[in-house]
Amino acid sequence: MKTVIRTEKLTKRFGDLTAVDGIDLDVHEGEVFGFLGPNGAGKTTTLRLLCALIAPSSGTAEIAGFRLGREDAKIRAAVGILTEQPGLYERQSAWDNLVFYATLYGLPPSVAKAQAERYLRMMGLWERRTEAVVTFSRGMKQKMAIARAALHEPRVLFLDEPTTGLDPDAAKTVREFIVALRGAGRTVFLCTHNLDEADRLCDRIAFFRHRVIRIAKPDELRAELYGRATEIRLLPKPRAEDLARVQAVPGVHEAHLENGSIVVASADPLLTNPLLVRALVDGGAEIAFVTERKAHLEDVYLQIVEPIE
Amino acid sequence: MTVLAMSPARPTLVRAVCVREWREALGNKLLVGMTLLPPVVILVAGIGAVAAAAVNPPSDRDVQALYASAPAVAGLDPKDAVQGFIATYFLILFMLIPTVVPLTMAIYSVIGEKASRTLEPLLATPVGVGDLLFAKSLASTIPSVIVTWAAYGIYLATVIAIGSHAAVNAVTAPRWILAIIVLVPLLTLLSVNLGILISTRVNDVRVAQQIGGLVVVPVVGLGIAQVTGRVVLDNGAFFEMTIVLIVLDLAVFWLARLAFQRENILVRWR
Repeated sequence: MKTVIRTEKLTKRFGDLTAVDGIDLDVHEGEVFGFLGPNGAGKTTTLRLLCALIAPSSGTAEIAGFRLGREDAKIRAAVGILTEQPGLYERQSAWDNLVFYATLYGLPPSVAKAQAERYLRMMGLWERRTEAVVTFSRGMKQKMAIARAALHEPRVLFLDEPTTGLDPDAAKTVREFIVALRGAGRTVFLCTHNLDEADRLCDRIAFFRHRVIRIAKPDELRAELYGRATEIRLLPKPRAEDLARVQAVPGVHEAHLENGSIVVASADPLLTNPLLVRALVDGGAEIAFVTERKAHLEDVYLQIVEPIE
Repeated sequence: MTVLAMSPARPTLVRAVCVREWREALGNKLLVGMTLLPPVVILVAGIGAVAAAAVNPPSDRDVQALYASAPAVAGLDPKDAVQGFIATYFLILFMLIPTVVPLTMAIYSVIGEKASRTLEPLLATPVGVGDLLFAKSLASTIPSVIVTWAAYGIYLATVIAIGSHAAVNAVTAPRWILAIIVLVPLLTLLSVNLGILISTRVNDVRVAQQIGGLVVVPVVGLGIAQVTGRVVLDNGAFFEMTIVLIVLDLAVFWLARLAFQRENILVRWR
């Protein structure tokens, strides 16, 4: 898999404060890479470093094949960034905003107009293209800002909190757009506080607090926290003998009662679950549901990031 | 879809930034008003003063005082002399326009972008900050120079139509025409880059205008010195002013360029 972002010991200091402390990253082409951390963790500073907006204090980075510090203009041409604030020219129309930025990205006039039209249609804003942006809702402005970040077809798109403050409909459009970008082989570097969104969208997640604490796939992170658990709900409620039967099934590591269910941890639920069901039915239990129990990414986040100061 | 982005050619960037800034400025009624008010006031006052001098003969005492302070008009017919003197005096006031008008535009251009958080996406494009600063400078300079030249053109045509021989001689003097053509753009650039420099440090348009307003002091001082006969604005004086302004323009642009760095703007500007 081709690497589009590679950093080695990338560091940024502001006086005595080390905002980004020697991070090593390898982000692949066509990947949605989540970058999660608390407020003030240095996420925005990292984004600015990777977009060649600020210079590192030490360390190296290569973005889209260009060396940070030596080919900064080429990096900025190859990436797109959605900043925390939409930062649009509000007195001007949606169309004028996008054509202006397309021009600044060096697109020829005909291509600039074609791209502006393509993204306005994609974001559902084509009908309102002549209206001043000041009349747009927060969600529409955010969609405009995403269109602006993507209209020069960057290889890497950096999105800083793309769905913050959006209604569910607008957030869905943004998420679908991110999925479409991945489908088109583009890399998305997603900074977010929205753990559910990160869980749904990201191929890998980096937990970050001035330095990278952990990088893994969301499923791996959850599995690390709880193992692979199965929840069995019985009617009217589990009996002591039901729990004993479950604990006796081969492959079961641990089983306990929790809120009217039996929660079972096993190495391989695909092998163990049929045995569990048979054992309970043979013992006269009435099974209402058998479900996979997934840890929430929030639990993982709180376990991994919160203890680190 | 593959689209290769790149740094735009400088003329393309300048045109795009200028058109955007002008659209933005035209949508701001306060800014349009503040841009047009000084030239209109000076123009109306200048034309009114020259016209009034043509119909109201000065007193003997005024004429003697005028002959004493402005030797160039000594010996002329009193009405002619007063009109000539007033016409020249207002030419100096025209030099105030390029110090006031572009300052306001430049301040709005930078502080407006700071307030609306549009600088970060702008800086994330592959354009160079020097080119961006240059484009922004031109976006404020060009309309101010055009406004000043237009006001001067109207003044010139009106004085030729209604003024005395001495007044027409004053406004059509080659050194004044050259001054308007050369000094106005230089003063405008100075004011614009000073405005940009000040705007990097403050967030309030009014505070920036108050600080930037100090640039009019030397021009007003020069006007007073000439009216009181302490300074004679001859060819040598204009040449010296041109050299000084070129040096000041380069120095202030260099300082503005130092302040206008990507990292400074994103991290230190508040």
